Amino acid sequence: MSDMTGTSDPQVLLSGEPSGEPLEERPRLPITLTVNGRPVEAVIEPREMLLDVLRERLGLTGAKRSCDVQVCGACTVLLDGLPVSACCTLAYEARGREVLTIEGLACDGRLHPLQEAFIDCTALQCGFCTSGMILTAKSLLDETPHPNREQIRAALQGNLCRCTGYWNIIEAVEQAAQAEVQGG
Amino acid sequence: MLAPFRIHEPTTVRDASRLLLEHGDAAAIYAGGTELLLLMKDGLVHYPHLVNIKTIAGLDQVALQDENGSRTLTLGPLLTHRALARSATLREQAPLIAQVAERVANARVRAAGTLGGNLCFGEPHSDPATLLLAWDAVMELTSTDGSRRVPAISFFVGLLQTARQPHEVLTSVAVPLLPAHAGAAYEKFALHERPSVTVAAVVYLRDGAIAQARLAVGSVGPTPLRIGEAEEALAGDRPAESAFSHAAALAARTVSPVDDLYGSAEYKRHLVRVLAARALSAASEQAARRERA
Amino acid sequence: MDEQAALNVVGQNVRRVDARAKVTGEARFAGDLSVAGMLHGKVLRSPLPHARILSIDATQAEALPGVVAVLTGRDLSGRLYGHAIKDRPIVALDRVRFVGEPVAAVAAEDAATADAALALIAVEYDELPAATTLDAALAEDAPLLHKDTPLSAGLFHGLGEMKAQPGNICYHHSIVQGDAASIFEGAPPAPIVVEGEYTFPAIYQYAMEPHTVVAQWEGDGVTVWASCQHPFLVRAELADLFELPVSRVRVVVPYLGGGFGSKSYTKMEPLTVALARKAGRPVRIANSVGEAMVTTRRHNMRCRMRTAATADGQLLAREARLWMDTGAYADNGPRVVATAADAAPGPYRWQALAVDAWGVYTNTPPAGSYRAFGATHLQWIGESQVDEVARRAGIDRLEIRERNLLRPGEQVRPGGKPLDADLVGDVRKIAAHLDWHAPKPPDVGRGLGVGLLAAGAQPVSTALVRLEADGTATLLVSTTEVGQGARTVFSQIVAEELALPIECIRVPGGDTQVTPYDRSTGASRSTTLAGLAVQRAAREVRAQLLAIAADCFGLPPAAIALRDGAVWHEDESRSYPDLFKYHFGMVGGELIGRGEVRPERGKESYAAGPVFWEVCTGGAEIRVDRATGRIQVLKLVSVADVGKAINPHLVEAQEMGAVMQGLGNAIHEEMVFENGQILNPTLLDYHIPTIADLPDSFCSLLVENGDGPGPYGAKGVGEGALAGVPAAIVNALADLGIIVHELPLTPERIWRALKTEGD
Repeated sequence: MSDMTGTSDPQVLLSGEPSGEPLEERPRLPITLTVNGRPVEAVIEPREMLLDVLRERLGLTGAKRSCDVQVCGACTVLLDGLPVSACCTLAYEARGREVLTIEGLACDGRLHPLQEAFIDCTALQCGFCTSGMILTAKSLLDETPHPNREQIRAALQGNLCRCTGYWNIIEAVEQAAQAEVQGG
Repeated sequence: MLAPFRIHEPTTVRDASRLLLEHGDAAAIYAGGTELLLLMKDGLVHYPHLVNIKTIAGLDQVALQDENGSRTLTLGPLLTHRALARSATLREQAPLIAQVAERVANARVRAAGTLGGNLCFGEPHSDPATLLLAWDAVMELTSTDGSRRVPAISFFVGLLQTARQPHEVLTSVAVPLLPAHAGAAYEKFALHERPSVTVAAVVYLRDGAIAQARLAVGSVGPTPLRIGEAEEALAGDRPAESAFSHAAALAARTVSPVDDLYGSAEYKRHLVRVLAARALSAASEQAARRERA
Repeated sequence: MDEQAALNVVGQNVRRVDARAKVTGEARFAGDLSVAGMLHGKVLRSPLPHARILSIDATQAEALPGVVAVLTGRDLSGRLYGHAIKDRPIVALDRVRFVGEPVAAVAAEDAATADAALALIAVEYDELPAATTLDAALAEDAPLLHKDTPLSAGLFHGLGEMKAQPGNICYHHSIVQGDAASIFEGAPPAPIVVEGEYTFPAIYQYAMEPHTVVAQWEGDGVTVWASCQHPFLVRAELADLFELPVSRVRVVVPYLGGGFGSKSYTKMEPLTVALARKAGRPVRIANSVGEAMVTTRRHNMRCRMRTAATADGQLLAREARLWMDTGAYADNGPRVVATAADAAPGPYRWQALAVDAWGVYTNTPPAGSYRAFGATHLQWIGESQVDEVARRAGIDRLEIRERNLLRPGEQVRPGGKPLDADLVGDVRKIAAHLDWHAPKPPDVGRGLGVGLLAAGAQPVSTALVRLEADGTATLLVSTTEVGQGARTVFSQIVAEELALPIECIRVPGGDTQVTPYDRSTGASRSTTLAGLAVQRAAREVRAQLLAIAADCFGLPPAAIALRDGAVWHEDESRSYPDLFKYHFGMVGGELIGRGEVRPERGKESYAAGPVFWEVCTGGAEIRVDRATGRIQVLKLVSVADVGKAINPHLVEAQEMGAVMQGLGNAIHEEMVFENGQILNPTLLDYHIPTIADLPDSFCSLLVENGDGPGPYGAKGVGEGALAGVPAAIVNALADLGIIVHELPLTPERIWRALKTEGD
């Protein structure tokens, strides 16, 4: 697992250990992408999912594997600002693009208004859905800075939470929206 | 983990078609991957060659065309559901298509999944397929052999099967714009991620009567179906609840649903009847409103 | 110290102490951990519900480059495990008993290789007749699942003597009080008799984090990082299975991505440990959601119940016979069955009771714990019969409860803990919130229900508080943080008792090598029991501080107070660090306090319990779209009868989550089986409630009567609200004349009930 702190030099990561088939039968592909504002170079296999590259090779374990069929949203990351299911997105699709994970949300140790609001409003319990939930909410606020409840619900309909019952999450998004408006 | 594959990056449709011809069964078109990758993850299919058509420019446009006085929207196959939902042109010219796009699956699937991928996959529970079938859309299929047009009514051939030949690429979906005296409506009923029943209706009024109606029912059979019998019954009728009810009953009798996780056959037939009546009524009402406006 | 005297931290809505770690992605779950040399493990699972294993050929798999080991039954001693009944092998030995049962496991350098290797393992099966339903398993000539396994009771069921049972019966529990038959069949028979047969589905708990375990052998011991709720019980089972002293088995528990009972007791740990042993390297196994579904689920159940009453609505007798499908292995089946039996009567005064509850083995994935088990299974049935009695007696459905509900101090079950909650008060609050007597539109149904859940499991918990020379404290306690907020609540207790700011208290996760014994995290017991141990540990440190201060000031301890991290006498104070310097003669040293909770001698048995009765109540207002049968939930209300809310926000948060799971159980969720195969093993076809499924309004009413056995008069919460939802909704439907005896209340079931009504 690599360390994402330090310099902004591109980080070169080799693909994992052999997996059965002879080397020449497993196509590989060098890609560059930006992850949380930092350039990353990797040699991947086309079949690798973005979720596994983030978690296993970049050590960004905030995105979680849960349902694995793009229903629950626990693996959500933002790709060029849009939410995608990293469990069903080839890492290949991130080439030349920007990936934002939960680890990239705080800025210089200062939490994003959504992170503050989730803490404030008890909008999480076990925390497993939280990364995906916050990033999806961020993409909502980026597009709609003053969402009403209907819009919040519609935007988060694809993110499951088994612990909180959702009410506090709605409140947290509303609170974060207000904070952003106030420049908090 | 998926078995290994190569990703090809053609920059023209012709090149894509050549690649598909060359690799035959071992190749699949790869666009958003929202259906394909799920299937491959399940281990049910494997394609050692994915032909990525997102590297072909120009397939993600919404264009308004005027051909022989009839106005058509052409939709590029690489338009994601999200892009469709937000297209200003689409929202203005055929808002229902944008609205339906906004309700497909979830936000993440909408961000990556494409119209073309959805239609060509031939999934029985597809929202756009049901809607565009009722809309009389025309699919343009292009290959090394040239281009051909297939109306929606001939496009959905069977379970996960369309009229697209393996080496063809869906290059556009032409959607006729509804004239002022026509309205369209869409109804769906969902228990799970995919809907149990989808119904789309388009109604044209003239002189206070139904000039033409098109009714498509999806999710309850291998493909969405146009209910010709119901459409014939409606032609010439006054746009009243009794007419819609009768047409809906015909639709319910025409479909052949099976018992499965989405409901029993009996219940699905019932839902078809309920939703078809609702969709016809809403489409007719919209037509009347637009006529008045 | 007066318990209820001005509390500063307890009772406050303190922010969760783990929230920052979870919103930044820093919080580590078992799947986020890796150790040097770790291999990836994958499991080969049976495709058949019942079959003999004739042979397993793993040579091709073993030869695949990157594969380090393949584990099969041949590598194992054949010892069985199970905390209630030891009926489970680590992987199938000579036969498989359910679709999904582990048959072999592969450890490889990466997940892709492990996956590829699974396909290379050749298993030859000889299929056997399978009993995949209750009916099939109970039939005269049913194939028997465990006929060759003599009953070997596990150590942790707490149910007294485990007896061998006939056929495919796993466990039997009965309650007899008075002579029910004479009331139902007597001369004259009871004027009102309500009777029915009911079905409850198999449900998947869906903790969003599937079971994940990392196992590493070192020397003659093993360390396991596991997503488990009960590390000490897992430790005991691993020690037994692998014939190690418990001190050589270390179970470390990171944050859990939800538990809800699905990670209670032992699940994937033995398999991972066995695979790691064979591989000679650490191994991680992570279930997929589909695998989690065949690892544990909620029992499906059939129940026949009848209720007898007088013509004016006085309840007389209840008879219930229920069969719970526990799957191929017992897991927590016996306890679930016992608790279901306990819930069948409901919290009423009866002249007679006859309850018979059976756990039945079937060739389906094993069923185990899930939030509010027993109560969720039975409350909707019992409460719907009480409502029907009210209708036939011509009295109000609230009034019948006011008349028949037990009062605090009354016996709930013979020899057991008397009722310790004001149920009448609770149900009145529900009714008031629903504006019970106000007129409502004819298409709105209103319903409520009330019940009890035997909570607390076994009351054995310990905690240690270490106060440091710099005035900070570490709390060592083995409660698993599953999301309920245990670390926060415990921090509040320590902060309160030691007059320290909450930021000064650290609560690391459970680690059996370091944190002391706690029986389990579940059964709503942690605040009540582990929390009590925490309070006692903190008070022991408090007593030490006072004794040192007394010595320092030359005053009796009673004259000294703790405030703001210091000891005080009038205006004079000494900070804790100063006191430490005084006591230890240096900047250093430590004060350690120990708290213990254990049952009163003679009161250890299940029958003498429970630790407390958790209140399960709920109210609902609904509308039904008669064309489709879809229920629109307008209002849901629950009561959190918690004695004392140490953190009211966290109580409410638990209620909200419980209620949405209750809605899932009531309306949306059902595992569909065919020949023992799950037809909907992914979330594509198994509907978990989304934000779009929220009721129009929800309210949790907090009741604090100080009547709990926990710290500050607290008692547990978190399950009752779930059990209350199906009951409330079923009764709201009946209010509309819609009677359904089968959950979940899918639109189709409602539509069919309406059709029958209309016919």
